[in-house]
Amino acid sequence: MNIAVQPTNTKKANKLASTRIAGKLVNEYWEMVWRAKEEGKLICWYEGSAINPFLEAADICWVHGEAYSAMLAARHQEVKAQQVAEERGYMRELCSYARTHLGCAVSNQRLRGDGTGAAVPDEDDLTWKLPAPDMIISAYAYCSTGQQWDEMTSRVFGKKVPIFNVSIPWIWGAKPDAAYLQGQEWEETSDYVAKQLNDMVAFIEEQTGKPYPWDRLYELMADIKRASELRLEAMDLCTAQPAPASFFDWVVSIAPINNLPVAGVKDYFETVLAEVKQRVATGEGAVPDEKYRLFFDGIMNWNKVGWLANKFANYDAAVIAGRYTHMAFWQEPKLIDPNAPLRGMAQNYLICPNNHASPILIKLIMDLCRKFQVDGMVIHASRTCRAFTNPQFMIAETAQRELGIPSSMFEGDVTDESFYKDEVLNSRVEAMLEAIESRRMAGAA
Amino acid sequence: MKRYVLGVDFGSTTAKTVILDLKGNIVSHSVAHMGAVSGDGVKASMKQALDQVGLTQADMGRTVSTGYGRRMLDEADKNYTEITCHARGAVSMVPGARLVIDIGGQDSKVISVDSNGLVAQFAMNDRCAAGTGKFLEVLARAVEIDLEELGATALGAKEKLKISSMCATFAETEVISLLAEGHPKTDVLGAVHAAIAARTLGLVGRVGKVGPVVMTGGVARNPAAVHYIQEALGMPLILPERPQIAGALGAALIGLDDYRKEHRHVISEEEDMAHEAQMAEDKACIPGCRGVPELAVDPREKQPAPRPGGLKTTLASLQNPT
Repeated sequence: MNIAVQPTNTKKANKLASTRIAGKLVNEYWEMVWRAKEEGKLICWYEGSAINPFLEAADICWVHGEAYSAMLAARHQEVKAQQVAEERGYMRELCSYARTHLGCAVSNQRLRGDGTGAAVPDEDDLTWKLPAPDMIISAYAYCSTGQQWDEMTSRVFGKKVPIFNVSIPWIWGAKPDAAYLQGQEWEETSDYVAKQLNDMVAFIEEQTGKPYPWDRLYELMADIKRASELRLEAMDLCTAQPAPASFFDWVVSIAPINNLPVAGVKDYFETVLAEVKQRVATGEGAVPDEKYRLFFDGIMNWNKVGWLANKFANYDAAVIAGRYTHMAFWQEPKLIDPNAPLRGMAQNYLICPNNHASPILIKLIMDLCRKFQVDGMVIHASRTCRAFTNPQFMIAETAQRELGIPSSMFEGDVTDESFYKDEVLNSRVEAMLEAIESRRMAGAA
Repeated sequence: MKRYVLGVDFGSTTAKTVILDLKGNIVSHSVAHMGAVSGDGVKASMKQALDQVGLTQADMGRTVSTGYGRRMLDEADKNYTEITCHARGAVSMVPGARLVIDIGGQDSKVISVDSNGLVAQFAMNDRCAAGTGKFLEVLARAVEIDLEELGATALGAKEKLKISSMCATFAETEVISLLAEGHPKTDVLGAVHAAIAARTLGLVGRVGKVGPVVMTGGVARNPAAVHYIQEALGMPLILPERPQIAGALGAALIGLDDYRKEHRHVISEEEDMAHEAQMAEDKACIPGCRGVPELAVDPREKQPAPRPGGLKTTLASLQNPT
């Protein structure tokens, strides 16, 4: 029996070339944010749900807290913001997205605001550069930290920033007719959130002092709907063997669908789709030698995207799909009517995967595992995002029971690298791949 | 062809070595205590196992390593994770086992095994040394009891106390606090072992409770750990005779599979000589041939009579034509 799984150090993930465009779009977007104040724009900070089209339509500069923290982590510049937050009293167990973002808020106040920090800000230091908010909108599904995070941000800025809260209820799924996108509860919660989005628009009108430009929102949502369809079509093509794109390519593509300016997003996903189709036609895979196909459950370690992509490539493991990438971010474009998008937008906010009752969430994950014919599941238990971690034991148990696939769990975090231990991940993943290999050999014998 | 294979479990605090012959019998084994992932410690363990039976590394057909330091061993032809090796070793020690609880120096792991003896699912301690041998080691120091006596002392616990923290450092603080309150060492240690059992039960819950359950690893030698885990689990634990060498045994068995597979067409010297003897007896000229019956010496006859119409008669008639 030879089931040894020996990683090499020579292989690299065959990333989609088109995802480089995402990097360029991200840079351009943040440059725009950093100079927004100087350009006289109103700034809105928000977390959670993708309400950015509402803001973009109204010509308000939008700052997504998680996106800024993720960007800092991806550039390995997150530590300073986290230290500043800790100095302020935010403990290490607090969501590291929130902690990093709050560190940025505190830095902003020190350097741009109350002047108690360094006299001359360092231009390369991104922790202080976020422009202070003129308004905060809290619209978080499932995450109990979200609203408190917004409240803390407000306090950092002296409680002078107006806040509007959109309550996105948990979908309990307890009614007899409850199912994915179905049932009385689904209809009622959709109405409930849609009504609040209308109220949120009234809040935006108050801030801008102008009537809300609905036609502009309709145009943006038509483009987002199309971009989402293109994204899902490209993802679906990854049922091919070898898979033409990986979970990590879809991670890199989150920013375009979730929080970048809408102009350019449709083009981006057209380019991605064309490249994926080309790869399918030529049999080119996302890893050089696909031997295993894996599902990734868990939120992303933003300071480890490239690292993990290459690590799995060295194991000849194509990580094809994930809860984070495949079950969120305008993932139901069919619900969006561009001429009356409000209810469909509310529904897309509601189906953030963690907002479902566990049976629905787990069924959706098992469906993805079947669809992409995965051999195993890698589970990232994020230390400071327990909302994402809560159902993971049940997910692993169901995958074993229903699909007969093993899983391996490792601990890490969204943006705090100190919780990640490389050897733990290596041992767990290798053990899982050995288990897959031994079963294959037993099956072949 | 070599006649032995070697498995090494290069663990965090001990190194274990097992040497097998080609029939899978353990011919030698050793356990060496060492510093953290010590190269010298593992070499000492291997040397001890080899010396016990007068062998050298050159006599080994395969060397397979496992454990934390599995990639550091130059002698190893291959390395495998502890999960794979412990499961293999434990099932070999206790055929039919479906759940393996292994508590070692810095790892505690629970492995469910399918009916074919293959790893089905596993769970390990995630963050720290919570519930591992290291945890016991730290607490043994706190109560000033030798590690070897820890279990026997804990079995004397009468009052049920509670250690809530599973962090070794914070648990030590709790232990000191309980001792300061005047609780006897036996009761405090009982609580420590109950805490380990609770932690282990959590891991069992993740992979599914199914029997028979075998316990391996150094902590399986601790009677209190076994007692409290059995109690928490509500199932008996089967303890192999040498629980510490399960990983090394598993590594050696995987090495044996590999070696046998590679040499499946090669005949061992022993087998070859056996053939020779058989051939001589059968008067056969090629290995495997059972010889020509007419030419074979019948032990009952000094001068066997040629069978009429047989080969010998035909040959004789050709040599001596009448």
